[in-house]
Amino acid sequence: MTQVGLLTESQKNELVGQLYDEDSYFNPIQDIDNNWIISVEEMEFCVNPEFQWVKTLPLIEYKPKPSPPFPPID
Amino acid sequence: MIINPYSFGVAYDPDAQAFITAAGITDNTQKSAINTLVVSMKGFGIWTKMKAIYPFVGGTATTHKFNLKNPADTNAAFRLVFAGGWTHTTTGAKPNAINTVADTFLIPSTSLTLNDQHLSYYTRTNSNLTEVEIGCNVVGSPPNTLLEIRTLGITYVSIAAGTYTTYTDPNSLGFYLGSRTASNSIRLFKNGSNVASGTTASTSNPNATLVLGGLNSGTSGIQFRTQKECAFSSIGDGLSVTEAANFYTAVQAFNTTLARQV
Repeated sequence: MTQVGLLTESQKNELVGQLYDEDSYFNPIQDIDNNWIISVEEMEFCVNPEFQWVKTLPLIEYKPKPSPPFPPID
Repeated sequence: MIINPYSFGVAYDPDAQAFITAAGITDNTQKSAINTLVVSMKGFGIWTKMKAIYPFVGGTATTHKFNLKNPADTNAAFRLVFAGGWTHTTTGAKPNAINTVADTFLIPSTSLTLNDQHLSYYTRTNSNLTEVEIGCNVVGSPPNTLLEIRTLGITYVSIAAGTYTTYTDPNSLGFYLGSRTASNSIRLFKNGSNVASGTTASTSNPNATLVLGGLNSGTSGIQFRTQKECAFSSIGDGLSVTEAANFYTAVQAFNTTLARQV
């Protein structure tokens, strides 16, 4: 089971456009239930002192939104 | 007077040295590997065909972001910007297939020639899911420029077109290269071998930035994110059969020196 960190809407807004290390940006996305989430890698590798709170986010099972078919229909 | 030649350090190719300096590479094996790669590509006559070369050496996002062909820390130099949970190590950069993407800032419609272009991706991960390793289209619609390495046993390449050249692929390990050299000639190479060829006509270049780690579908977002660890990638002019084989020779020697070849 793949786990991800669960964000509130305001936490998501705080992270958009912000770095978690010198050259890596947070990238919150929505799961199939429209929860805002980040990956456990962003939580683990975050060294930005402003966002150390991500390390204690609650973990939930990752349920992705369905992808379109591949290859795309012409 | 005896002069110790080692006191003056090793003289590297100027392009290799520029990258080493920009990326802050200090390990001598990594420096030597970069230098040999550059010298080999120049010797094979393929250096000038490159727009972007991502060697993923050094083990951090900061060292991995630089374009060997133009190691300036700018979007215009096609330096990568990483987002999401990439894992950077000495073996490469591994995306998580959840929210990872690396933007190259290279837009095919402005930087690539319609019937003369290539994409490459060296994958160290064996998987068989619907994952695009490098690509873009426009809002989910053709034309596509992409490499999709092994979905349900099939690898797909499309360059400036709406249809695909395919290859029945036993695994997703190694150096993949898609090359278009004419309006009716597209080839897929795996580990230097021409494994598929097609006559799919080019239509136009997509007007979106190429990304590593998925398919940039413009306002539709990033789709088909991959989990395949990347140990090299490039974007540039089209390569012939001989040039593609030589390119593999250079890249495989590079990754062998770094003890991460597959």
